[in-house]
Amino acid sequence: MIPAETYLLLSAAIFCIGLFGILTRRNALIFLMSVELMLNAANINLVAFSLQHGNLTGQVFSLFTMALAAAEVAIGIGIVLVLYRNFTDVDVTKATTMRW
Amino acid sequence: MWVAALLLVTLLGTGLVFLSPDRYAGKLAAAVSAVPALGSIYMYWVYLTQYGGTGNALLSPADIAFGQQIPWITLGELEVSYYVGLDGISMPLLALTTVLTTLAIVSAWTPIDERQSQFYGLMLFMEVSLIGVFSALDFFLWFVFWEGVLIPMYLLIGVWGGPRRKYAAIKFFVYTNVASLIMFAGLFALVFSTDLTSLSLPAMAEAFRTASGLPTIAGVNLMTISFILMFFGFAVKVPVFPLHTWLPDAHVEAPTPVSVMLAGVLLKMGTYALLRFNFTMLADTARQLAVPLAIIGVVSVIYGAMLALAQRDLKRIVAYSSISSMGYVILGLVAFTPYGMGGATFQMIAHGLISGLMFMAVGVIYNTTHTRMVGDMSGLADRMPWTVGIFVAAAFGYMGLPLMAGFAGEYFIFQGSFNAPTLGGAAPVLTSLAMFGIVIVAGYLLWAMQRTLFGGFNLETDYEVSPAAFHDVAPLAVLLLLVIALGVAPDLSFAMIQDSISPVLEIGGGA
Amino acid sequence: MAAFTYAPAIVLLPFVSFLVALFAGDRMPKGGALAGITATGGSLLLSIWVALTVAGGAVHNEILYQWTTSVETLQLNFGLLLDPLSALMLLIVCLISFLVHIFSLGYMNDEGETGLPRYYGGLGLFTASMLGFVVANNLLMAFMFFELVGLCSYLLIGFWFRQDGPPSAAKKAFLVTRFGDYFFLIGVVGIFATFGTGLFAPITQGGEVVAESFPMLAEHAIVDGEVEGIAMLETVGMGPQAWFTVLGLLVLGGVVGKSAQFPLHTWLPDAMEGPTPVSALIHAATMVAAGVYLVARMYGFYALSPTALAVIALIGGFTALFAATMGLVKQEIKQVLAYSTISQYGYMMLALGSGGYVAAVFHLTTHAVFKALLFLGAGSVIIAMHHNENMWDMGGLKDRMPVTYWTFLAGSLALAGIVPFAGFWSKDEVLYEALIHGFGTEGGLGTVYLAAYAMGLLAVFFTGFYTFRMVYLTFHGDARSDTARDPEPVRWNVKGPLTVLGILATTIGFINMAPVAKLTGAHIDFLHTWLSGPEEGGWPELLSTDLHHYEELLHEVPHVDPAYPLGGEITTLLASAAVSLGLALAGVLVARSLYAGADPVEHTDKLGGLKTLLMHNYYQDEYQVWLATGVTYPLARVMNKFDQGVVDGVVNGISSVSLFGGSRIRRIQSGVVSNYATLLTLGLVLLLAAFGIMGGWF
Repeated sequence: MIPAETYLLLSAAIFCIGLFGILTRRNALIFLMSVELMLNAANINLVAFSLQHGNLTGQVFSLFTMALAAAEVAIGIGIVLVLYRNFTDVDVTKATTMRW
Repeated sequence: MWVAALLLVTLLGTGLVFLSPDRYAGKLAAAVSAVPALGSIYMYWVYLTQYGGTGNALLSPADIAFGQQIPWITLGELEVSYYVGLDGISMPLLALTTVLTTLAIVSAWTPIDERQSQFYGLMLFMEVSLIGVFSALDFFLWFVFWEGVLIPMYLLIGVWGGPRRKYAAIKFFVYTNVASLIMFAGLFALVFSTDLTSLSLPAMAEAFRTASGLPTIAGVNLMTISFILMFFGFAVKVPVFPLHTWLPDAHVEAPTPVSVMLAGVLLKMGTYALLRFNFTMLADTARQLAVPLAIIGVVSVIYGAMLALAQRDLKRIVAYSSISSMGYVILGLVAFTPYGMGGATFQMIAHGLISGLMFMAVGVIYNTTHTRMVGDMSGLADRMPWTVGIFVAAAFGYMGLPLMAGFAGEYFIFQGSFNAPTLGGAAPVLTSLAMFGIVIVAGYLLWAMQRTLFGGFNLETDYEVSPAAFHDVAPLAVLLLLVIALGVAPDLSFAMIQDSISPVLEIGGGA
Repeated sequence: MAAFTYAPAIVLLPFVSFLVALFAGDRMPKGGALAGITATGGSLLLSIWVALTVAGGAVHNEILYQWTTSVETLQLNFGLLLDPLSALMLLIVCLISFLVHIFSLGYMNDEGETGLPRYYGGLGLFTASMLGFVVANNLLMAFMFFELVGLCSYLLIGFWFRQDGPPSAAKKAFLVTRFGDYFFLIGVVGIFATFGTGLFAPITQGGEVVAESFPMLAEHAIVDGEVEGIAMLETVGMGPQAWFTVLGLLVLGGVVGKSAQFPLHTWLPDAMEGPTPVSALIHAATMVAAGVYLVARMYGFYALSPTALAVIALIGGFTALFAATMGLVKQEIKQVLAYSTISQYGYMMLALGSGGYVAAVFHLTTHAVFKALLFLGAGSVIIAMHHNENMWDMGGLKDRMPVTYWTFLAGSLALAGIVPFAGFWSKDEVLYEALIHGFGTEGGLGTVYLAAYAMGLLAVFFTGFYTFRMVYLTFHGDARSDTARDPEPVRWNVKGPLTVLGILATTIGFINMAPVAKLTGAHIDFLHTWLSGPEEGGWPELLSTDLHHYEELLHEVPHVDPAYPLGGEITTLLASAAVSLGLALAGVLVARSLYAGADPVEHTDKLGGLKTLLMHNYYQDEYQVWLATGVTYPLARVMNKFDQGVVDGVVNGISSVSLFGGSRIRRIQSGVVSNYATLLTLGLVLLLAAFGIMGGWF
């Protein structure tokens, strides 16, 4: 059986890629994708530990996370559309009116 | 049951008034507030005739009149209950609150012309909280009411106030709220260092009085630290120099009926709480700190009076002189003598009536002239003789004219503090200094009256001056009669006050 | 005694007339005057009844109403003390007030004044307050009515509120007397705190003393050394003598204010802004008399303190002279009378200070009569002159208003102290007492008495001068204006009171012709007998407010004793009388030589700089106004600046600091999502690192 560390490394790598995307990219769609990557990194963790402990809770949780991710994308894309409509751009650094 | 009925009726009335159309709100509110007013007058009468000689609510819970206790919440070790009741100290204050609210509501009919249902609703809501403050005997309940007063007050100043209403409202709210926080910290430091099982005020009084082995911080006993924190918290409400600056702003910006409540009742919350917490629960510490506290009181008297001398706005004059009058109360409280403490409590009632009267009189003048500035008007006596007559009577009441309530209160305080054992050799000196307030108060009120009421008629604004309406003058007349009644027969309140004060004098210090 | 049962009505009747006049005066004929006349007339009758009862040897000292029933032993009450002194004063007050009410019909109603209900209401309350003060049996009640008297003077002096002068004068009167009352209040509180009672005389029941009075307690403490039950001594760290002196001087503050003694006399001349009948009431019987009456009332207390006596005598003597000099140059008739009032009350204080208790009460009585007469006479002149008060516009009124002239002349002779008019007898006795006690008393006190006597004696000359300067300018010579040539006639309601008072001013001195009594040996010094009571037993034993008791005290404690420098008693008496009469006559004659011509000229310019000084009243007003507007008010302004700038500045400063801090910290909130993400990540990394280091993962 493949040891859990391998999954964890994979998960960490994917999380870091997602994080890197959020920190460096300005396009809102890329943002969304990066967030998806991070969520799925968490999913991998959940499933991996579930396998290791022989407990299905983690699997169930990951299903929840997927549903949540789907809902999030739906709202996220809605926000991106509104963003585009208001700023004629999907650059997240342009939309800075949500401050003091 | 009686107190609960008062609270419930007023609360229901509050809802009713909020929902009523503006046209009827004023009359409806007056009718609603008349119920607790009449109820409390009946209770007062019952107390006066049947409960003669009962003790202090905090020190002898068996003697509580109109008491009721229902278990409510358990906070870990601490029991919280709905616990209300009255004694000779809170009974007059309760009657003062309800009567003054009714009169203030009637006096609001003329000046308040927008958002009337909200205005009167908030006035009634404030009355609920004030009834609660003076009757609650459980700290948790009391604190809910105590803070509950702030919300309507904040809105009443902030929505219906003058040009700088937002500044005044926020200043009032933040100032008093921070003070409550500090007081809360001081009190709970004590609650947690004694083995209290109930948050009822009598239980707290018992626990604090018998508390021993309290920790010391930097060499100072926790009791002293808590006392100072609580004094600070309550002193803001009184207010005492140098914590007074919210008061003139709040008074000047607040509409007149709100000023009446602010000066008449809200300031008394501070001294009432001082009497209940600092001077009853922590009586020993209060005796030790008597001289510095008396100095604070005396400074407030002179400072407030001197500042009133420099003001041009009639409301500011009365506001600063309130600081002066409340300074007497502090002086009387620290004396720990029957006349001193009793006089201080009596002065709360007397000043409540007289300052209410004074603000109402200023309000009537403002309603007709639309200015409150000394110098913008003169010779008003020519156009509104009865209003001016009552104004003059009120002003002399404020100056402490004998046979009016103010003199009785001040005289009792002076008599009580002149040879107060807690103050020692400083007592005659401090009392004499405080007495000089009566000269300064005469100075500024006579000056203001001469400039505004007498001389040839002149007005700097474009308004027609006409005699005030009946419902404007009637509350003034009622208050004036009450002031004279209490001045001629102070025992109407003073006897029951003394009965409830004397247990306080017996504890601590072994006086 | 039945009279004593109805005695409270003496006070209540004028009070009822106040209510009736104020609330129903509009609907009554004469605007409430009838209510006032009825009430004061009723009070006068009751007072006569009380006086007759007292003359029968009965006295009354009872608590009527408990103001507070304290759990402490100290109880504050209202009570009646009716003894010869208060019975006499009741008579004076009721009589003067009654006549003033009648005179007001002529002065106010006939002149078509408005606001009459307010006027008569004020008069009623004034009378009631003064009567309440007179019958008070304890110091607190006395203080309360003393203050009410001040209120009424405020209301009445400021009666013509539409003008600028009267409200200002009213304010000044109340404020200056309030300043005196401040000390009085400390004294009242102090006396209650010290003795536990404020009773003027002990209350007895069936021969047993049930409540001791404070003068008696003080006497026991000083004479017998019984300091038990006397509080405060340890607190203030003084002996009984010193502390009682302090208390006495504090109470004296109120006396100096109300009786317009130096330096608190400045309100009184200004108070002439009020209607003239009010001036008559204030000066003759009520407010100003209250101060002197108070000292007489608690004389047993003052007699224990040589220092207090010296201060009283010195203030009195100085004020008598000081005010008389200011009266020399005044041009308004009422101003002259105002300064004469101050001066005459100075004599009373001089008498009280120098152990002349009877002389003071005597002068209080005669002065009440002749000063009321002079003011009402001046009022009559003022009606005739259409409210022009300047004496230089008058002249020659003698023939046109004979009743006023002859009565005014009687009053003037009394004021100047010319034999046999009332003022001669009383003023002579005042000076005589000061003289013999000055020689008889050892040490500083005697010297003070002699100095005060000298000042009082000098003032006699000035009194004669200014009085007759006034008479000559007003009534003699040629008329100097059109109104003086054709004065408005006055009616019976003016002439009636003048006639009554004129007769009294001529005759009332006969109640106490002490010199004649001493010369002839006849017992015609009735006031002496009235105030000293029977030799054995009787009311003096009950109340200890009798003359014999005071004389004993004066002899025992401050050692005030008489001595006769010029041979025997009779020679001294005659010499003293001759000197004061001679000086008075000299004053009259000087006035005659200067102002009696057909067309007198102002001689005041010859005084040079002194004239300016006198016209400005020694700049007493100026410095007091300066104290108020030049010191107190600027100080208040500075404190206001301090309050707004420093105290409120700190409050606003705290909020400014919070706002400023917030405005800086909010810069972190850039609105750029990437920045937030970076901060989140950084925070997470830092937290992980921190946990790692703390948990020892590395």
